[in-house]
Amino acid sequence: MQNGYAGKFLQVDLTGGVCSSFTIQEERLKKFIGGSSLAASLYLERFNLDADPLSAENPLMLMNGPLVGSGFPGSSRFAMAAKSPQTGIWGEAACGGNFGPELKRAGYDGIVITGKSPHPVILSITNNSAEISSAANCWGKDIYETTDILKAPDKNIKVLAIGPAGENRVIFSAIANDKAHFIGRTGLGAVMGSKNLKAITARGNQAPGKANEEKYKEIFKAAIAEIKNSAFAESLHLMGSDAAMDLGMMTGDVPIKNWTVGEDFELSAKLSGPTLTETYLTKAHACSNCPVACKRVVAVKDGPFRTEEGPGPEYETCCTFGTMIMNHDLAAVIKANELCNRYGMDTISAGATIAVVMELYEKGIISLEAADHLDLAWGNMEAVMALLGKIARREGFGDILARGSVSAATHFGAGALDSVAHVKGLDLPMHDPRGFHGMGLAYMMSNRGACHLQHAAMGMEQGMVSWPQLFEMKEDYDGKTSQGKAQLVFDSENYGILGNSLSLCHYLLYCLKPETVRDAFNAITGFNFGFKDLLACGARDWTLKRGINNLLGITVKDDVLPKKILTVLTEGAAEGSVPDMQLLRNEYYAIRGLTTEGIVSKEKLLELGLPELKEKLHP
Amino acid sequence: MATHKAFTQEWLDAWKQKIAGSQEYKEIAKEWEGSVGLICNADPSKNIPNPVYLFTDYWHGDVRDFLVCDETKVQTAKFIMTGDYARWKQVAKKELDATKALMQGKLKLKGDLTYVVRNVKTINKVIDLLTEVQTVWPDDV
Repeated sequence: MQNGYAGKFLQVDLTGGVCSSFTIQEERLKKFIGGSSLAASLYLERFNLDADPLSAENPLMLMNGPLVGSGFPGSSRFAMAAKSPQTGIWGEAACGGNFGPELKRAGYDGIVITGKSPHPVILSITNNSAEISSAANCWGKDIYETTDILKAPDKNIKVLAIGPAGENRVIFSAIANDKAHFIGRTGLGAVMGSKNLKAITARGNQAPGKANEEKYKEIFKAAIAEIKNSAFAESLHLMGSDAAMDLGMMTGDVPIKNWTVGEDFELSAKLSGPTLTETYLTKAHACSNCPVACKRVVAVKDGPFRTEEGPGPEYETCCTFGTMIMNHDLAAVIKANELCNRYGMDTISAGATIAVVMELYEKGIISLEAADHLDLAWGNMEAVMALLGKIARREGFGDILARGSVSAATHFGAGALDSVAHVKGLDLPMHDPRGFHGMGLAYMMSNRGACHLQHAAMGMEQGMVSWPQLFEMKEDYDGKTSQGKAQLVFDSENYGILGNSLSLCHYLLYCLKPETVRDAFNAITGFNFGFKDLLACGARDWTLKRGINNLLGITVKDDVLPKKILTVLTEGAAEGSVPDMQLLRNEYYAIRGLTTEGIVSKEKLLELGLPELKEKLHP
Repeated sequence: MATHKAFTQEWLDAWKQKIAGSQEYKEIAKEWEGSVGLICNADPSKNIPNPVYLFTDYWHGDVRDFLVCDETKVQTAKFIMTGDYARWKQVAKKELDATKALMQGKLKLKGDLTYVVRNVKTINKVIDLLTEVQTVWPDDV
């Protein structure tokens, strides 16, 4: 292991109960690097794209990148991928924590899981070997309980687990690493549950090597100095990702009352990062080898939402269980976050789905009786807590919501779909495109559906970063214009996706100079890539996933923003502003090399070195 | 409307007057306590031969001392913001948002960042009011 890679991948056939390994040639690694990009290349090559997402035929893949396990700041992340049960297209999510580095230490760059076990099982990986055992003592238990059981023999074991939501195939269920870090989006917990795979554990003691240790040490020092010097890193350390709430309320970024209200400073004052720090924070927590420590550990000592010390909510959760449902009580957000963590549900889609049904309840489309006699009035957090349990267990009204916001709204009919803010079936993250039109385009074009992390549009458009060495950039973008945003999103995707392939946290991508990221990558892998090579990998990644989605039926008809976002707000910083969807899409298609139907062109596929995809898409 | 040379006492007085006269500022800044020191690094090529030190003091919607000062005085401020002349000029002309400048490392802050984030609306209002001061910049002379 002298180039950041462990050198082999674990193959697990749950139907037959067989574990084996395979290798990937360096040429392929140079094209796709790692993370979800590498997963997509395997998916296209080896699997049946038509398979039902919750069938044995749909593979579940976990991939590290070359930086994982190196000790470089922010390099603890890993990606998981599969065809998504939530969207029916390419699904992926990434998280930090400690599982990725431990898997690398155990000797693997990734895992490809196929089939379905006849009964619930645990996959245990230890130093170049893997075994499958019964999960009888964990099945039915929540994520915190499961993690405690699996770590009992050795607290250094790292755990990835699903909760009752994943077992019950709630389509927005998540996978948790050591209780605190989540593969949250696109419902991959349900894919894991459909395979009867309750958890994966890893333990290893092999240090991955680097191509140039001396050079790496120099770059590491430079990286630490850049982070110490970064106000962005300091704000994350002091206030977590929810540091964004106060400024976001001023700039029109924060969605309120299911995207219908433009500003509410009372809400942001009660739910923001500074308030969390001053009230419920007990300590900051870091992913492996991260000096930023943006994660929150919180406790609510008394009251109706008393919560034991544990992982706290991020910005997104403070919106979905706060501003979006008109809840002013931060303690209640913390409790809802804990319940989602324990059940194993994506806090964005869970909260967004509840916001939708609260709106439908207010409009009279959902009655008290239909809601199992839960009063779904805005901000009724006791009902929210009850509802989360019903969703995870798929009981009554909760079973309807467990199918996701689009399916639930369709169930209630009568124009209820207009209440859902989604792109390609994935609920919008908590950044309002009416305040930042570039984010609107990024939502439209993200390959897993509406996403704020498959690109760096937020950092660029909101002015958190300045990367003139990578591309032409303005120092201060006007969020409320669509002009020029196609190029911004294109550039931000090519660099932002790269973070996912390298398995580098986006926050660190924002704190570090691109030169430092490039040099660290080269010192670890020995690939000697320039910016042009790296950005080409980003473009290849995006195009590969788009091509897969094209094969799954995605066209121009799907690259649309929801009605919610095309409706003007009458107050706040985004007042009167909506993205010009047509302009954004037309300009973007031209830059990205898509036909007017939204299909990746033959020429673009060949230019980016994707001939296999070209054969499938343009036979 | 009168114009004022940037970084002079008259310019600071005009800025202070704008802030003191703003009812909106009084409302927004009612929670703010404490002084802000501003340091503009020397840039002889832009007619800034020496660093400039400014001391501005705010208290629950009121404005107190606004002084061109020395390094010793500026260091007594609760918050100190430091940057190059070109950045300050961009911020004062609203060509660069102060918060973005901080996040991008173009301005440096010494002091409690949590407090600043909580009161970001106050800071933006103070900058907004500075843009209303007709300013002659040293490199425009």
